[in-house]
Amino acid sequence: MSWFSPQTKKRFLRFRKVKRGYWSFNILMALIMFSFAAELFVNSRAIIVSYQGKVYFPTYGSFIPGTTFDFDYEYETNYRDLKKRLNQSNNADGFVIMPLVPYNPYENNLKDEGYPPFPPNFADKHYLGTDNTGRDVLARLVYGFRIAILFSFGLLILTYSIGITLGCAMGYFGGRFDIVFQRLIEVWSNVPFLYVVIIMSSIVVPNFTMLLVIMVLFSWPSMTWYMRTSAYKEKARDYVSAAKSIGASTPRILFHHVLPNSVSTIVTFVPFQIAAGITSLTALDYLGFGLPSPTPSWGELLQQGTENLSSSWIVASVVCMMVFILIMVTFIGEAVREAFDPKKHSIFQ
Amino acid sequence: MAQYLLRRLLLIPPTFLGLTFLVFVITRFVPGGPVERMIAEMQESAASSGQDAAQIDLDEEQIAQLNEYYGFDKPIIISYGIWLGRVFQGDLGASSRYGDPVAEIIGSRLPISIFYGVTSMLITYFICLPLGIFKAIKHQSVFDNLSSSLVFIGYALPSYVVAVILMVVFASHLEWFPLGGFVSDDFEDLSRWEQVKDLLAHAVLPLTAYVSGSFAVMTFMMKNALMDNLAADYVRTAMAKGLSFRQAVLNHAFKNSLIPLATHFGNNISIIIAGSFLIEKIFNIDGFGLLGYESILERDYPVVMGILVISSLLQLFGNILSDICVAVVDPRVQF
Repeated sequence: MSWFSPQTKKRFLRFRKVKRGYWSFNILMALIMFSFAAELFVNSRAIIVSYQGKVYFPTYGSFIPGTTFDFDYEYETNYRDLKKRLNQSNNADGFVIMPLVPYNPYENNLKDEGYPPFPPNFADKHYLGTDNTGRDVLARLVYGFRIAILFSFGLLILTYSIGITLGCAMGYFGGRFDIVFQRLIEVWSNVPFLYVVIIMSSIVVPNFTMLLVIMVLFSWPSMTWYMRTSAYKEKARDYVSAAKSIGASTPRILFHHVLPNSVSTIVTFVPFQIAAGITSLTALDYLGFGLPSPTPSWGELLQQGTENLSSSWIVASVVCMMVFILIMVTFIGEAVREAFDPKKHSIFQ
Repeated sequence: MAQYLLRRLLLIPPTFLGLTFLVFVITRFVPGGPVERMIAEMQESAASSGQDAAQIDLDEEQIAQLNEYYGFDKPIIISYGIWLGRVFQGDLGASSRYGDPVAEIIGSRLPISIFYGVTSMLITYFICLPLGIFKAIKHQSVFDNLSSSLVFIGYALPSYVVAVILMVVFASHLEWFPLGGFVSDDFEDLSRWEQVKDLLAHAVLPLTAYVSGSFAVMTFMMKNALMDNLAADYVRTAMAKGLSFRQAVLNHAFKNSLIPLATHFGNNISIIIAGSFLIEKIFNIDGFGLLGYESILERDYPVVMGILVISSLLQLFGNILSDICVAVVDPRVQF
């Protein structure tokens, strides 16, 4: 860790000391890793199929038609049926290892008796039940989490690149440039964000990238504002004048002095930005103006859940998941703040 | 101060113009506006009455008339000017959905929004300030830690998730409160006392959801500010010259701790009126927020623009009010 400055090391150690924040961070990272490998755990495709001496790994790659396993159809093999068939024939032809949850988030697993939604059922491996159209709730939760996290990180990176660049320039250069953008931001941040998103999404059904761009359009001002204040404050410090007087160039001052000293502003907001990304995507999906329909999303589950209050497992599982994730993110946020900006209260009595 | 206020007030018109113009332009470019909607409706009614839809297609002239009625035949900048001129005369236009004047529609929703806004503001201030003070004084006691974790949950969750949880647990599962709406359908027939009870029963859950987010921010702000001040030298001096702890907290530290809270005060105005349409949608309350949401869905642009005018003005004046509040509680602030 020698390439980190002593201050960074100290901050890292302070972060580790805030136990609940540190553990939340570890758990959340593990969950994110898990969700990126979700195809291996929650999927309708088998992990391994051994059939008549040949071994298949169907998880990734193009689908294997049913005819390969002597089914009479050309479309993708139903591995759950294959497993049943092989079990009945006492595994003479081979075996199938299915993921823990043998469903993908898109398939409607309908039953002959009754109509969905079906309550949680361990025999069918619908651990959290199914939604209104018979899709597995757990599978949709897991894949929805992956999309929400990817979305939040995308949002974070884009808003931060705009916010830091523009805010730094506004604060450091000041003058007319600063004033023009100040007015622009004031107008822009007063535009009712949800109105515009709803109007936009009702014209075209937005895909992931479009929704991201729309959200970035409305979330850059706040970061720009914080960064502007921070750069403005640093600019007035003596060390900047000192650097100038020994002949440092503007880029050098910006990248070697102003930016590193504003890092606490930048980092402290990261967890809260992530939480905001997840909540606003979920809110949009809940209203039906988010990602297009079959995409697994928490907001869509929330919407189904609140409309079918009698099928309480839907709303219960998505709300629990949201509470769990958001509280962890907030714990991390508090810990990061503590690490970068420690406030020691002396108690007077 | 006066100069600063004047400058801030002078900045309102350009911001207001920019804002309304932006949304006006957006509404112009969205397909499915009132004219297209009307054409579709006519075709539908024709089809249902057995006629061939294609046959009674509106002729050019009628479409032109409709376009003229809504100002779609003129360039954007001119129809924006006309709209703005009407707004200055206090005329927000008529809803393209109901035909009623926009001001009337908005006015009919206002009492509901103001009821929720004012009550939730009162609850926040009357509970958060004492709670914050108490938590600061009893820092790290059992009560402080317990209430912190509760308040923290409210802080981490967005208010619509809190609303969903409350609705599922207390309205659907336990059936302690009604599922939604502002009052029951038979409200008119109830006696005065039952009316109050009915209103309150409907209000408990939405109010809790409204309050949950701001509650945490306020309480923690109060607590942290007070703790900073309690550690300050002037409190020590005050006690050294013989004040009791209670007096030192209430007369000295408390006053100074109000400064960060004052920066938040102006936001209340816009929250009072605008509310949160997510909460209103979840609890099916016919407030200002839900009106805005529905009128966007229905492409009722006169209403959308009317709401925008009111809410943006409130927001802009609210920001200035915050600054005044800060100046009032903190004489050191120089603008």
